[in-house]
Amino acid sequence: MAKQLNISDEHLLNYLDGTLNPQERNTIEQLLKADQQVALRLDALRSIHDYLLTSRADEPSKNFTQRVMERLQYPATSGYSPLNGILLLTGVLVAVGIAAVLLASGVFDTTTTLDLNQLVVPNKYLDENLPSIAVNGKLIVNLIILVNIALAFIVLDRAVLKPWFERRRELNLL
Amino acid sequence: MTPEQEFAIIDKVLAGNPSAYADLVNRYKNYAFTLALKVLSNRPEAEEAAQDAFVKAYHHLKNFNRESKFSTWLYRIVFNTAVSYKRKRKGTYQDIEKTEVGLNPVAESNLEKNDKKKFIHAAMSTLNEADRFTLTLFYLQEHSLEEIAEITGMQANTVKVRIHRARQRLADELTRILNTEALTL
Repeated sequence: MAKQLNISDEHLLNYLDGTLNPQERNTIEQLLKADQQVALRLDALRSIHDYLLTSRADEPSKNFTQRVMERLQYPATSGYSPLNGILLLTGVLVAVGIAAVLLASGVFDTTTTLDLNQLVVPNKYLDENLPSIAVNGKLIVNLIILVNIALAFIVLDRAVLKPWFERRRELNLL
Repeated sequence: MTPEQEFAIIDKVLAGNPSAYADLVNRYKNYAFTLALKVLSNRPEAEEAAQDAFVKAYHHLKNFNRESKFSTWLYRIVFNTAVSYKRKRKGTYQDIEKTEVGLNPVAESNLEKNDKKKFIHAAMSTLNEADRFTLTLFYLQEHSLEEIAEITGMQANTVKVRIHRARQRLADELTRILNTEALTL
């Protein structure tokens, strides 16, 4: 609305805030007398200004303070404690490291065959020979390592990075 | 309560007298709640967020460096907590900068025709929460632009522009509502 005029809303708002110098103030007051559109715009802005100036704070419930004081007794906790998270992360990485070393040393290179006929099962329950199952240890250990690496990333995010960033955001002003 | 008196209370709390903290809670609870309400637009949630902010402030009180006012420090925690609550709302995630609340049709229908305050109150709901929060700090507590910048983490110039723009939008909305009302008379 005020863009059509030679005076901007910013000037009018500065006028209301009392941040104009006497000369600028005088110019605005002259324009207000000469231009009804400017006067109408100032009236709308003044209504907002006066409303905000006279606004009062809302009141919370009567037991607000009591509830805050009760909550102070409990330590500030998040879902994961960073210390526990670091310990868990260390454990996961150690497990991955051991698995990787064993893998590299060739412990799991041979394929093991699991012979189900060697299981101690009473013969009366078995009429036929059971099949033998080939177990590829290398593949299983690789999968375990992959799962552990994924777990390590999740633990790192939830227990270390997320609390750290939240804490940094909260304490950014300190 | 002067800053020195507040610092004396903080010293008491830090010396092992947590009950002294109630004085600070009583002093700032209305403003903390109002600011949280400006962000969340939901009284129970705002109350929870404001309480949470006081509890966080208590647990980090030893880190308050006393270079700014306690209220400035506290309100920043309130702002961050309220924004965090807003973002955690399940299924209603919205960008804090882009969120706009439309006029409540019920509230709008209940507007009293000759009460400009009611119209402005309705217009306020069209602002996003960051604008409402900033305006509240500017007017309700008469914080300086620099203090508001410290609380909200914005530049002082950005705060000034935001306050100007919010008031412009309110004036535009007020004019629109008044024109609409005039047409329906």
